[in-house]
Amino acid sequence: MTGFLTGLLRLKRGPWEMLATILIALGVVMLMQPFFLWAYTWSFLVTLVGTVMFIITSHFPE
Amino acid sequence: MSAYSVTEPSKTSKWAAALLVTLYTVITLLPLVWIISTSFKTGPDSISYPPKVFFDPTVEGYVNLFTTRTRPAVSELEALPPPEGLMEEIARRQGTIITGPSRFGERFMNSVIIGFGSTALSIILGTLAAYAFSRFKVPLKDDLLFFILSTRMMPPIAVAIPIYLMYRELGLSDTHLGMILLYTAVNISLAVWLLKGFIDEIPREYEEAALIDGYTRFQAFRKVVLPQAATGIASTAIFCLIFAWNEYAFAVLLTSGNAQTAPPFIPTIIGVGGQDWPAVAAGATLFLLPVMIFTILLRKHLLRGITFGAVRK
Amino acid sequence: MANPIDIAARGTPPTLARKVRGLSDRAIAWIFVAPTIFLLLAINIFPLIWTIRLSFTNYAANKPNAEVKWVGLRNYERILTDEDIWSNMTTTAHFLIWTIFFQVLIGFTLAWLINRKFKGNDILTTLIVLPMMLSPAVVGNFWTFLYQPQIGVVNYIVEFFTGIPAASFSMLGPGGLAPWSIVIVDTWMWTPFVMLICLAGLRSIPDYIYEAAEVDRASKWRQFWTITVPMVLPFLMLAVLFRGIENFKMFDMVNLLTGGGPGSETLLTSIDLKREAFEKWRTGYSSAYAIILFVTVFGLASIYVKALNKVKER
Repeated sequence: MTGFLTGLLRLKRGPWEMLATILIALGVVMLMQPFFLWAYTWSFLVTLVGTVMFIITSHFPE
Repeated sequence: MSAYSVTEPSKTSKWAAALLVTLYTVITLLPLVWIISTSFKTGPDSISYPPKVFFDPTVEGYVNLFTTRTRPAVSELEALPPPEGLMEEIARRQGTIITGPSRFGERFMNSVIIGFGSTALSIILGTLAAYAFSRFKVPLKDDLLFFILSTRMMPPIAVAIPIYLMYRELGLSDTHLGMILLYTAVNISLAVWLLKGFIDEIPREYEEAALIDGYTRFQAFRKVVLPQAATGIASTAIFCLIFAWNEYAFAVLLTSGNAQTAPPFIPTIIGVGGQDWPAVAAGATLFLLPVMIFTILLRKHLLRGITFGAVRK
Repeated sequence: MANPIDIAARGTPPTLARKVRGLSDRAIAWIFVAPTIFLLLAINIFPLIWTIRLSFTNYAANKPNAEVKWVGLRNYERILTDEDIWSNMTTTAHFLIWTIFFQVLIGFTLAWLINRKFKGNDILTTLIVLPMMLSPAVVGNFWTFLYQPQIGVVNYIVEFFTGIPAASFSMLGPGGLAPWSIVIVDTWMWTPFVMLICLAGLRSIPDYIYEAAEVDRASKWRQFWTITVPMVLPFLMLAVLFRGIENFKMFDMVNLLTGGGPGSETLLTSIDLKREAFEKWRTGYSSAYAIILFVTVFGLASIYVKALNKVKER
């Protein structure tokens, strides 16, 4: 866990990509879950942030 | 060494596996067998209950597929001169007379023209790009490759909205050229990714030897790389062709008359009084059969094709 | 995006490069890649930018002369608070989850069985794969024939095996079966896809790993869970992601099977989008809808490419 956090701080690709992946997955789940309308409403923003983050962070050094 | 290999399954387990897989194969092929058999049934046979497994085969479905017919009153029908030719006779047997050819032939030809046109174009462009990606250091290579692949993932309906507007402005709606360009744009990603994989496997030494022998880069590409990549190019072409052949969403939204392909047309085949299932099945059979043959030809490269070249064996 | 001029080539060693006559490598790379990039910019990126622009307006494609108003984020706001569209998303989720579940279950089992390398397994594999290559539209259309109420073959088979009267239910009609009927057809079509990829995963496991496990006296059950499953997992992920993306944007097969009906029981998002865009002609609104679907697919696609590269390294 600390490795993950220091990776984030040092702008390493691995942990940031992982974070972006989690955001995208979360956004997709929020979009299609049948329970909370608010989650559906905000899902697009979460996916968008995750996707943009993925594109940017895939250029970070390994 | 032990007497048996641990990774070699026992005889009984092989038998059980063979049995189960065969069972699945039979079940999974049933719908396809049903399509083909329905195409040789008469209208009443096709919708009889319980469904008929054994029946007198007829080519009524195929005749109906290629013709339009009317159903005159019985007295009128009896007053007609005897039927000329086999098609007329088969139509007469159903109490109808042929009034002209149907549009199926045209639609099928559209599928052929658009399929082959877009395949040729995507292979030409794809081979060039794949060669460049494989052999040269292209800046932002990974980003470009990802961009190319992501274009294939776009939802077709989402793409169709602006394309519809754009084609309307450019006069490309419902034209063969418009559909060829569109299918090329979708197929080119697959072509680039697959062909890059195939070209990566050709040793660079061949070209370098040719370059030392005084070939230009372009000559080396044409005379050394292309012949080596022939199998790869052929199987990529079949994949592109199958995609263009099967495509429905763009075809149904962007074409209506002139350039409509077969997939949006087949479901609209209506007989005299309700859907003419033997004719639909006949159309489906003629349409699906080439793909089945190509799939069997392609079996060794299938995995590569469906994973954009990532999984080789 | 990359400026095409930046697409340089520095691949050839300098000694060789000097001997090359004609165009430089840099020029060749430029000439070779440019047409592809240009075509994709024209047919994909330009329309995409146009869609983004339209998504902030109330433009209607069937009224090209009407005044176009900027509505800001209102289209997005309306879509993302619309309970009907939300329920279409959950319908899509139902389709997605169950198709993937059945395809992974059946596909993996088949691959595992075929991997016993019994005689004739390659012929059976080729036959099993057939449905996947066929036109979803034509096949979907024909399934409506198999699914006909009362006289359909499927109803007959169900009556034959279970005794439930064939006239008492309808696969595509009212009664709640339609969402399952589309799952069945998709599973029939795409199980071979998952099977093929799993088979590749199973075949990539070297024999010596099992031999070592045997030496350690690990049970077959343990070997399956500690060797087979983890080794196939990256491949399985690939298959699941790809099927997920494909089924999230599913249109052709289901449009012909049910057209979204009965009611809105099988109204997947793509079919709903088609209605908004090409039947109600709310172009601005549906552009926003399209962008939402597109961003979701694009996000999933980036994960997919990551998974793809992972498998490639094997």
